[in-house]
Amino acid sequence: MANFFPRWTNLLPLKIAVCLGALGAGVVAGITYYATPKAQRVGYQPTQPIHFDHNLHVSQLGMDCRYCHSFVEHSGHANVPTANTCWNCHQHVKKGSPKLAALRDAMGVDEFHTALMNEDGTPVEGKPIEWVRVHKAPDYVYFNHSAHLNRGVSCKSCHGEVNKMEKVYHAETHSMGWCLDCHRAPEKHLRPLEEVFNLSYDPKIYLQDNEVIDTEGLIVGKGERIEDPEDFGLFLRKHWGVQPKESCATCHR
Amino acid sequence: MSKRVWNPPVTPTKGDTTTAWRSLGEKEGSESFRNRLDREFPEGDTLTEEEQKLSRRSFTKLMGASSALAGIGLVACRRPETYIVPYKKAPEWIIPGTPLYYASTRPKAGGAVPLVVTTYEGRPTKLEPNPDHPDSSGTCAQTQASVLDLYSPSRSQKILKGGSQATQSELKEALQALDLSKTALVFGEDDSPTRNRLAKGLAGKGATIISYEAVSGEPLQKGISHVVDFSKATRILSLDCDFLGVDPIGNSKEFSKKRQGGNADYSQEGDVDASKMNRLYQVETQFSLTGGMADHRLRVAPSRVAVIAGEIAKAFGVGSFSASDDDKKALFPGAEDAAAEFESWIDECVADLKSAAAGGLVLAGSRQTKEVKQIAAALNEQLGSAAIKVVKTGLGQYGSLADLSAKLEADTITNVVFLTPSNPVFDADSFCEVLGRKAEVTIHWGLRLDATAWACDWHIPAAHYLESWSDARSESGVVSLIQPMIMPLYGGISELDLLHVLGGGDFAKGEFFPAMGEVKTTFAEITGKSDDESWRDALTDGFAEGTSYDPAGEFSVTVPEIKASATPTPNALEIVFATDASLLDGRFIDNAWLQESPDPVTKLTWDNAAQVSPVTAKALGIYDQVIALEPKTSLIGGGEAKVSNRYETGEGEGNHSPMIIVTVNGRQLKVPVLIAYGHADNAITLPVGYGQAADDGREGPHVFDKDQPTVSLVGINTGFNAYHLRTSGTAYFATGGVVKITQEKYPVALTQEHNSMYGRALAREVSTMPLEGKGDFEEQKKKVKKQGMDSHAPPNISLYKPEGSETWSKTELAKKTHLADEIHQWGMAIDLNTCTGCNACLVACQAENNIPVVGKDQVAMGREMHWIRMDRYFASQENPVEHGHVNKDKENPEWVTQNPESIPQPVACVQCEMAPCETVCPVNATIHTEEGLNSMAYNRCIGTRYCANNCPYKARRFNFFDYNKRNPLIKGNLYKGPFGEKKVGEAPHLQRNPNVTVRMRGVMEKCTYCVQRLESAKIKQKQQQKVNTLAAGKKSYDVAVSRTKDLRVKTDSVKTACQDACPTSAISFGNLLENNSRVVRAKGNVLDSVKIIQGSDYKKVEGSPRNYDLLQYINTRPRTSYLARVKNPNDKMPDARYLGQATINIH
Repeated sequence: MANFFPRWTNLLPLKIAVCLGALGAGVVAGITYYATPKAQRVGYQPTQPIHFDHNLHVSQLGMDCRYCHSFVEHSGHANVPTANTCWNCHQHVKKGSPKLAALRDAMGVDEFHTALMNEDGTPVEGKPIEWVRVHKAPDYVYFNHSAHLNRGVSCKSCHGEVNKMEKVYHAETHSMGWCLDCHRAPEKHLRPLEEVFNLSYDPKIYLQDNEVIDTEGLIVGKGERIEDPEDFGLFLRKHWGVQPKESCATCHR
Repeated sequence: MSKRVWNPPVTPTKGDTTTAWRSLGEKEGSESFRNRLDREFPEGDTLTEEEQKLSRRSFTKLMGASSALAGIGLVACRRPETYIVPYKKAPEWIIPGTPLYYASTRPKAGGAVPLVVTTYEGRPTKLEPNPDHPDSSGTCAQTQASVLDLYSPSRSQKILKGGSQATQSELKEALQALDLSKTALVFGEDDSPTRNRLAKGLAGKGATIISYEAVSGEPLQKGISHVVDFSKATRILSLDCDFLGVDPIGNSKEFSKKRQGGNADYSQEGDVDASKMNRLYQVETQFSLTGGMADHRLRVAPSRVAVIAGEIAKAFGVGSFSASDDDKKALFPGAEDAAAEFESWIDECVADLKSAAAGGLVLAGSRQTKEVKQIAAALNEQLGSAAIKVVKTGLGQYGSLADLSAKLEADTITNVVFLTPSNPVFDADSFCEVLGRKAEVTIHWGLRLDATAWACDWHIPAAHYLESWSDARSESGVVSLIQPMIMPLYGGISELDLLHVLGGGDFAKGEFFPAMGEVKTTFAEITGKSDDESWRDALTDGFAEGTSYDPAGEFSVTVPEIKASATPTPNALEIVFATDASLLDGRFIDNAWLQESPDPVTKLTWDNAAQVSPVTAKALGIYDQVIALEPKTSLIGGGEAKVSNRYETGEGEGNHSPMIIVTVNGRQLKVPVLIAYGHADNAITLPVGYGQAADDGREGPHVFDKDQPTVSLVGINTGFNAYHLRTSGTAYFATGGVVKITQEKYPVALTQEHNSMYGRALAREVSTMPLEGKGDFEEQKKKVKKQGMDSHAPPNISLYKPEGSETWSKTELAKKTHLADEIHQWGMAIDLNTCTGCNACLVACQAENNIPVVGKDQVAMGREMHWIRMDRYFASQENPVEHGHVNKDKENPEWVTQNPESIPQPVACVQCEMAPCETVCPVNATIHTEEGLNSMAYNRCIGTRYCANNCPYKARRFNFFDYNKRNPLIKGNLYKGPFGEKKVGEAPHLQRNPNVTVRMRGVMEKCTYCVQRLESAKIKQKQQQKVNTLAAGKKSYDVAVSRTKDLRVKTDSVKTACQDACPTSAISFGNLLENNSRVVRAKGNVLDSVKIIQGSDYKKVEGSPRNYDLLQYINTRPRTSYLARVKNPNDKMPDARYLGQATINIH
């Protein structure tokens, strides 16, 4: 009887096992890396109906975050500006620019800013601008902007340096572990309330310019000046009684 | 291995005097009830008809299809693009994500309900009482549920002419072509000044104006009303007046304040003071909420109320009527000398009323006969009662439905416009016939397409009160404004806009409503202020200050001759057409929240049923039929065998009630029957409003017509039409009823045995009177904590050291104690002394926490989702107490055993500090928060249900299906998985509270003390830091923040939904670390660690001695505690010594 299996087949099971193992390891590695918020979310940069340039408006024109995101200190949501907020300036600025077509549609005007009329003489109902959502918390997460901003956590801690973004992208992971990192050690993100909306805040420079005295001796000793940014964070945490919760009901209800 | 029995039910011991029970099965110890108790899982785990139909094969098919669909879905595995769409032009005041509150009012016959409406981005989601309003008294269940009606997809949405759609201009032509001199306008009985003014204008042009509601009785005189002030009433006799329930009179907050004997805010030394407590004598037929609160309750057939009233009048010396011996015997059955007992009841009651003088008050039910009302009015005059005032309402100019019928017959009226919330074609006997024969043009305006809508030539969709401009008088006549929260969702037209058109005006255009101008005009007329500022202030407050009804002036009553009809017998029963606690007169039939909220007394959902007393049921042969019987089958060759362990009769899960045929007024109705404890003998109670349409072939209800649907999916096949038996002459009750037993059974969904905690001292009660073997009031109060099992249990001692772990504790405090937060520790106290069991909290919780409706079949299986379970216990003294011990050989007379007390007890999650549910969750989905809440992370729950099994309070609810997404009201729909039909319509989800997760299938849920409200209150408080910084004018790092002073939520400023809704302030909620909060005053500062946390500020607060924990002996340390009920009997009354002992055992 002929030999059905040539010699080289002796190693075949092992080879198959190794290949499958490698494949399996690859899939596992792939999922661990790619199926996490870090890979899924960070860097997400959709194209918006209007190319709104944060860098231009914030860094060059010096506008405050709260001009457009006006209710961020009062509400859980950081509102996206209504079309009439944009229109406050843009009815005069960049008149007729093709980039602002969506805004003019929303306001119901043509490129010369004359109101559009229907055939029966009523003004045209504008079509609201559909901004593409960049940062999305799941439905069961009740994140509250005002709770953080009013206690000295800056926009930058979660959204990155938006002031330098020409086109907004997802800068941080926004995973639950990432939230908890900060809830466990909030001192790394605390800053004076006046500096919350200053995205170019640098604690080192701030401490050089401002004489922060630890009057109660919470961190560095009574009456001494705080110079180290890390100490400053710890000082603010104690001084302000910041005690972030870690139980589920804090964010999930 | 047999199951280990932990904490066996308390078996009655020597000292027990009272028997307490919730249901017939429990009382009779039926096998089905015991079976259910012993089962590890409730019956919901057994297969239902649908589940059995769903074979393994079809299950595999479904699963295959679902995974195939999932596979297709995977192909598009990309981040879905979602959009943020801001307003074009920002509306004033709206901040996305924060609620906006408006004051408004819900119009209602007998006094409007002042409200504060919560809106999110323009959507009204929740109604709260308006605390600034002088007539504010919580909200009732119907008010809470009325927000659901706004979004109901079954609301009428089109103008119809002869059943087909018509335009607004056609309608306008038709309205203005009406010959007003031949037109009648039928309104509801709520009192709206603007409507009165417009109606008067139309009457001036010749129109006849009528007011009609199906279950509101006629006042002594049209346009006269009685305003009651319970704060001045110390002794109350109520003659069939359910003033805390379906017949609201007076402010129930004031009543309950008096009930607390000066301790309404829990700051009185020595708790309830018996001498400051009011006393309530109740004479009624079926157990009502008021009857449950009463100190002395006499159960009488409805016609006998007049007999009692006559006897009382005689004792007052203003009448000469005497009750017959038959009546006396019937009222005190089993008594050795019934006449003596009867006389002592009447005389002592009258003596007590007289001694109170101006503090005495006699109330008559609004649907009782004219004689009873006249006697009540005369007695109040005699007493010089300070608690009641006769006032002039705006309803004097309206005629009655009988007037309308007469005018139709006489051909002086040919056109009728219906604007009443009732449904006269359905609920007013024989009116339909006259209308059809005589009327030429009929127009109906209403929220629903009911029988009247289809019977009319025209139908106009109404705007909901949350969509309209209007005004209404509250009970004492305060002009309360109604403002729209949202533009009409379905193109509805408001009542005032319609009247405006009838008067020759135009319909509303865009955002301009003529009704607003009309309301403003009335406001200026009444207050004399026509400036915009006062108008705006009134809108902000919700009412016009300084307005109330004028006194009626001279109003004299004569005591009438009483003609007593024959005493009812089992062969000539009296039939009461009772107002339904959920549906009122049937107008809420399409409201799923109300349909599913269990009746406060019978605990029946989704249906109505005839109620009879056990004695009458025995006489009629129904009793044995109701008691659970095992279905048996004959074996071949003789003998019987048990075929299954499921029971077909009796009460409880998946059970049936026998059907009876009630014949009265020459008409028949087949209805299921329930045994009702405390019900008068020889009388039957039939709640009205149900049975509007059915398509399952049941007898009685109108056949459902697909082309002209009178009910939606919610109201179809619910109950039986009791209006069928009612004639205009017997609007409240009929005599001479006969019952025939049938062998048919009807499935009923009763919740009373669901989640039973069985036989432990749960609801507790004390009496202000010394009781044999239990001591006087003070002694009884002291013993409240030691009732039932708690009397034997040694004090709870932890074997572990009280400190937190060194390794895991985050804060210094947590290292010292188990608590991790030193500024907030939440707790609750529920006072059974004022809780009436009205369901307002239950429905409020449903609205606040997005709790789904599950439908009748699922309720029957014990799967209802209400987070608050409203338990209702009956208790009576079965055996006499002799020398401090119960003599089991003797039985108390029938009039004692058949007249039990009733105690309601709302039970939600009690937030145990040592929660048994937490330790068994395999995924940490239920864990403790730093503030003492037992929280749920819904997205983490995998649905093992271990927690529910381990919960001794049975407070957890499981989503067996996707109730929120799939329509549970279509038969079998839940079992079709992804192929099932989704919810009908687009609007219902708009009611949802955006701050609470909408749970899906397979998730456990329960009360979390409205954690969303707590969190938003805390977050709002955090803005204090900024306020302080700005005030100090310093850099923020120079301003210290004190956690206790700046970050702690202000005392008692955050309220849970149930607490807010409660009409009697029975619920106290707050921070257990603040000594001045109401909850601490009620229960004391009970936390172990409060000494450590408060440090030098520590001061012991005793709290009420009536405070006790549920199942204290199992050491779960619940954060919700209860305060025992106090009965205040008149010690001279014959039944006094049997009262105030509704606890199961007292040692």
